[in-house]
Amino acid sequence: MNAPMEAPLVRAQRLGAHIDTACARIAPTWPLDRFIAVNPYWGWVQQPMAEAAAALGTLGGTRLSMPRAWFREQWHSGRLQRQHLRAALRAGGTPARQLDAETDLLQTALLDDPAPPMRLRLASDLRDAVAPPRPGISWADLVTHQVSQHCAAYFDKDQAAWGMDTAAGLYGSWRNQLGSDHGLIWRQGRAALRAKVAALPASPQALIADALDALGLAEDGRAAYLTAVLMAIGGWAAWCAWQRWEARLQAADDDHIVQLLAIRLAWEWLLHDDAPPGCVPPGWAARWATASQAVHALQQAQRCDWLLQHAAEIAYQQPLIDSLRQPLPAAAPAPAVQAVFCIDVRSEVFRRALEKASPAVHTRGFAGFFGLPIAYSPAGSTLIRPQLPGLLAPALTIGDAPAGTGLGQTLAGRRQQALQVRQRWAALRGTPASAFSFVEALGLMYGAKLLADSARSDAAQQRWEDTGLSAEEAATLRPTLARADGDPAAAAAMAKGILGAMGLIDGFAPLVLLAGHGSHSTNNPHAAGLDCGACGGQTGEVNARALAGLLNTAAVRGQLRGMGLHIPASTHFLPALHNTTTDQVLLYDTDAVPAALRHDVERLRGWLDAAGDQARAERAGSLGLQALAARPAELKTALQQRANDWAQVRPEWGLADNAAFIVAPRARTRQLNLHGRSFLHDYEHALDPDLGVLTLIMTAPMLVTHWINMQYHASTVDNRRYGSGNKLLHNVVGGHLGVFEGNGGDLRIGLPLQSLHDGHTLRHTPLRLSVFIEAPREAIDSVIAQHAMVRQLVQNTWLHLFRIDAQTGRVEQRSAVGWVAAGADAHAPA
Amino acid sequence: MILPSDITPSLPLWQAALQLAPALACAVAVLWARPTVALASVWRGARCAALVSMGAAALSLAMLAFGTGGAGFGVRADALGGVMLLLVAFVGWVIVRYSQPYLAGERDERAYARWLLTTLATVGLVAVSNHVLLLALAWTATSLALHRLLRFFGDRPAAVVAAHKKFIVARAADLCMLGAAALLMLAFGTGQIDRLLSLATAQPGLPLAAQAAVLLIACAALLKCAQLPFHGWLIQVMEAPTPVSALLHAGVVNLGGFVLMRYAPLVGEMPAAQVLLVAVGTATAVLAALVMSTRISIKVMLAWSTCAQMGFMLMQCGLGLWQMALLHLVAHSLYKAHAFLGAGGVVRRTQQMQLAPRATAPGAAALAVGGVIGLAMVLAAAAGSAWLLPAHAAAPAAWVLAGILALALVPLLHTRSPHLGAWGWPALAGAAFGVALAYFALHALFAGLVPASAIAVPTPLWSAVALAFGALFVLQSVIALCPRGALARGLYPWFYGGLFLDEAFTRVAFGLWHPPAPAPAAAAMLPAPDAMTFPSTLSGARA
Repeated sequence: MNAPMEAPLVRAQRLGAHIDTACARIAPTWPLDRFIAVNPYWGWVQQPMAEAAAALGTLGGTRLSMPRAWFREQWHSGRLQRQHLRAALRAGGTPARQLDAETDLLQTALLDDPAPPMRLRLASDLRDAVAPPRPGISWADLVTHQVSQHCAAYFDKDQAAWGMDTAAGLYGSWRNQLGSDHGLIWRQGRAALRAKVAALPASPQALIADALDALGLAEDGRAAYLTAVLMAIGGWAAWCAWQRWEARLQAADDDHIVQLLAIRLAWEWLLHDDAPPGCVPPGWAARWATASQAVHALQQAQRCDWLLQHAAEIAYQQPLIDSLRQPLPAAAPAPAVQAVFCIDVRSEVFRRALEKASPAVHTRGFAGFFGLPIAYSPAGSTLIRPQLPGLLAPALTIGDAPAGTGLGQTLAGRRQQALQVRQRWAALRGTPASAFSFVEALGLMYGAKLLADSARSDAAQQRWEDTGLSAEEAATLRPTLARADGDPAAAAAMAKGILGAMGLIDGFAPLVLLAGHGSHSTNNPHAAGLDCGACGGQTGEVNARALAGLLNTAAVRGQLRGMGLHIPASTHFLPALHNTTTDQVLLYDTDAVPAALRHDVERLRGWLDAAGDQARAERAGSLGLQALAARPAELKTALQQRANDWAQVRPEWGLADNAAFIVAPRARTRQLNLHGRSFLHDYEHALDPDLGVLTLIMTAPMLVTHWINMQYHASTVDNRRYGSGNKLLHNVVGGHLGVFEGNGGDLRIGLPLQSLHDGHTLRHTPLRLSVFIEAPREAIDSVIAQHAMVRQLVQNTWLHLFRIDAQTGRVEQRSAVGWVAAGADAHAPA
Repeated sequence: MILPSDITPSLPLWQAALQLAPALACAVAVLWARPTVALASVWRGARCAALVSMGAAALSLAMLAFGTGGAGFGVRADALGGVMLLLVAFVGWVIVRYSQPYLAGERDERAYARWLLTTLATVGLVAVSNHVLLLALAWTATSLALHRLLRFFGDRPAAVVAAHKKFIVARAADLCMLGAAALLMLAFGTGQIDRLLSLATAQPGLPLAAQAAVLLIACAALLKCAQLPFHGWLIQVMEAPTPVSALLHAGVVNLGGFVLMRYAPLVGEMPAAQVLLVAVGTATAVLAALVMSTRISIKVMLAWSTCAQMGFMLMQCGLGLWQMALLHLVAHSLYKAHAFLGAGGVVRRTQQMQLAPRATAPGAAALAVGGVIGLAMVLAAAAGSAWLLPAHAAAPAAWVLAGILALALVPLLHTRSPHLGAWGWPALAGAAFGVALAYFALHALFAGLVPASAIAVPTPLWSAVALAFGALFVLQSVIALCPRGALARGLYPWFYGGLFLDEAFTRVAFGLWHPPAPAPAAAAMLPAPDAMTFPSTLSGARA
């Protein structure tokens, strides 16, 4: 091939690679009704965290650790001490003889307030440096607003009755929309803008190619520039990344993110073209080709930040490591109840309380979707929603029994009617020509609604999935896995896998409680974020009920016996839902409990109530209810009222302050108060000779806990870019897509301020996750060696990995040079 | 309940004090909320004041039911003011209760509580004032207090811009009101509103100064009710905390309507003002309602809806249908305050809607059938209520509104119904008839609250209104039936862009009066990396 033939092809391939690089940097964000935690830096984990931080700072102006003032605060409060600084320096490779001098320097650095990272400037920034488009608003904000409003109109299916014509695609419809805008102020006149827009290439790829050429971006700077452009509209970029994520889970693809990149880049081009003379400094485009130097310089400048970050983490880890080393208590007597809870940090508080309420209860930690790869479709509805972690695609859809039978069909029909009537009423309220008369005829009724919603209520939560059903009808329905009856062999295979992963293969207690969890808040756009993340941001009772039903099915148990797994006939699986807001546990399907176990269930209820009192008392202080901590009945009522309060912006603290993930038998932690900061997953290495379970834990739950940890971290260290700002200003977009903060601006991702801060202090301490696994070195190393993703997280220090020696209780940390002793063994006199 | 609209000349001191009690209670709570008082006590004081206000307002209305209204000491006790007072006190009470947990931990919680109570106090004063100057000054004070709430997040540029828009429009409205007050005093030689109104109705025709005053009052109402093209501040009000959006409906954004009702006998004597109100109100109602249907975020949608509803209310004022305008004011305030406070629940409501298959467009024939049935129902309901309440005589303009009601019922009545089953449609039809009955019954009830007016509305005026709403119905149906048709596609960019009116207004207004710079990024709850500011508790560690 000769050069002229080759050049366009190579150029196109190179451009495609740059676009892919930029798009791959953006982590997805899930819609509000399925709001699960995600590591917003997920596109950067193949780099060491400090390096990624420097790149993110250079391209996006963000930072990945707290400002120096926060570390000073830690120091003054005594949480951060000289020994921690020393340990961080030693871990960072500082030779022993320089340790004292370096520690002095680091301590001095606590008094500095280094300037925040300066990002490289985009064309919109250059324009803003000269003159804003309108008094009081910058080009950067105006462009964000225009693109954001367009994306919202394009993706909205539920809010606007009169929607945008989306046939031309995200980019094409944006071009049409901007071409018919009559509000923008353009230096060369609005007609010139419209002509420019009309002349833009029709395909997003062509636009990107042409714009980069016109802006004079050299090959070396293109990937960095495109990444920065996409980060400038990071909220919608994350939304588009989710479109791509979902498509790829279904083995398809989606290019909305490329179209979004084209849109924001087109703005760069338009603003660059319309710039007054002298606005674009010479060498502006060339600056992007040397972005890596700026990244390197920033990484050097941020060295102290990362040492301090690590020191803060060491300050948390050391006492935990020391407590994990304590000798194990004597083996507990055979349990009356085994209770399986989600690994969620909120379960830790309740499990500890339940074990205290009765030593006859043994608790276990397992992912709250109970390993069921399902989507759920409520009876008589058209809704199908995933009930599993966002990393996975559902393999089965489950419905509500007795749907399918004659009774179920009648019920489904009645429900459809009720839902239709609701829909008509909504139309009466929202149709332009109807709204006026609606208000006059029925508006006064809202006075009563205002009164009712202002009144305190301790009512129990209603499942919204039961809308259109009477309470009696809802009570007859049970989420059921059709496979349990239809194909017992396949169902048993699934059950065996799940029980194996739980480590629950023998020694069954008469009652096995499967407790999913969910939250209860009112008028809260981010409510799903408080529900079970492992269930895809839903409450977990569907999975618990389906699995209990499966394991209670005689045919399945028969098949399991054939596979060598014997569940005694006297054992019953009981599904439940742990309400994390009120710490009440609701038992489901108690009608299916055999008569012989009725008494056991009643006894369990008593223990659960006692545990609830204990857990609520422990949480009371953090919710500003310390005064009620010693008055259980009043505290319970207060929490129920809080859950029903439509003005409550802090119904519960969710997973705030999470810091550790402990993978070990419960015996290892049973004596410890982990203060609701630890995810707990049961793991018995002796039962896992082929490392199947360990591999599963390290590739799935460990990843999920890391995502949660980084979600809280990112929302705390930079709430403007990776958090959703103030709830007082939240304005839900498209019914469920996400929120704006106020009138517009970018789509906001991540957690609200009120989920992290109580107005006086931070409730989340931004520490990287410390993972503790009770397993031999070789076992862990083998999983690390086989899974690139796990390797990246560990080696690039996105989390800390420790192992606990089952015999000695010694703790070792996996470091760059291999396993090194941690905790007291590593202590040197400070 | 028919309340006396005939005002006795004097009011005993205790009753004047009762009228002023809501404003006074809020004012006392403002004074109580000094920086030395703990926040919890500030809120306790606020809740007390709100409760006292509500009790006093209810008592004041009850007094009127026993026939003891009147004017004196600069205040007035009549049904209109009483209803307004109770509305403000009730919504105010709800907002105060809501705000305490909602604002918990905010940096300026105390300032918020003080300005919230100040706003409520000043609105309470407007509702009872019987002097043109007092009314104008209380009205101005309301907007100044609200301004502080709109700038609660004064470090957000968008909040500053929105508040500044409101500031410009409100100052123009203040000038109109003060000018009107001066002209009225000039024309009638008194500032007492009750005296002035009876003087005006005693003689045929208004003096020139009074005519100018009425026009100014109409202009002030249009400005304050966020009518096109002065609506920009309202649709950007979500730059303030959610309860502030609800507070607008406790007699702030609708205050223009109240003042018009207060001066109703004068407005009836000034056809130019009526035409102005009907024209601007109708145009805003129709256009803003269509813009509303293109909005993609819940709060902005609600704000456009308020804009449209205020247009409808002002149109009713212009048509002399005062009882309907008052009902609209009260009912809409309750509805919209609830909608804003509950806006966060939209995610749950969307989930509930997703349980049912997405509604399909009903088809032209089904809509037409629905329209005919609606009309029949409205006629029946009207006849029923006329028979029940014969005093409620219907003007042609009232029949136009009845026609609008008939079209409004179509979403309940149209006959396209895939999953409605056997009882679904009859149930909906029954509900629709109930709505129509409620509509007429409430109108008849409210007719007893405001003085009857005998405005003869010129035929072209009410015909134009009928045409405008007919066109709205047709347009919305065409858009629903052919969402990708040429008409829907051609009009969409205009309505999506809010007709670009706010951009034009902003260009002119900010050219005349530049917005201030945002406050320096204040200590937010969490440090922003580029702002490098910290909560006070953290910066304390610097020492």
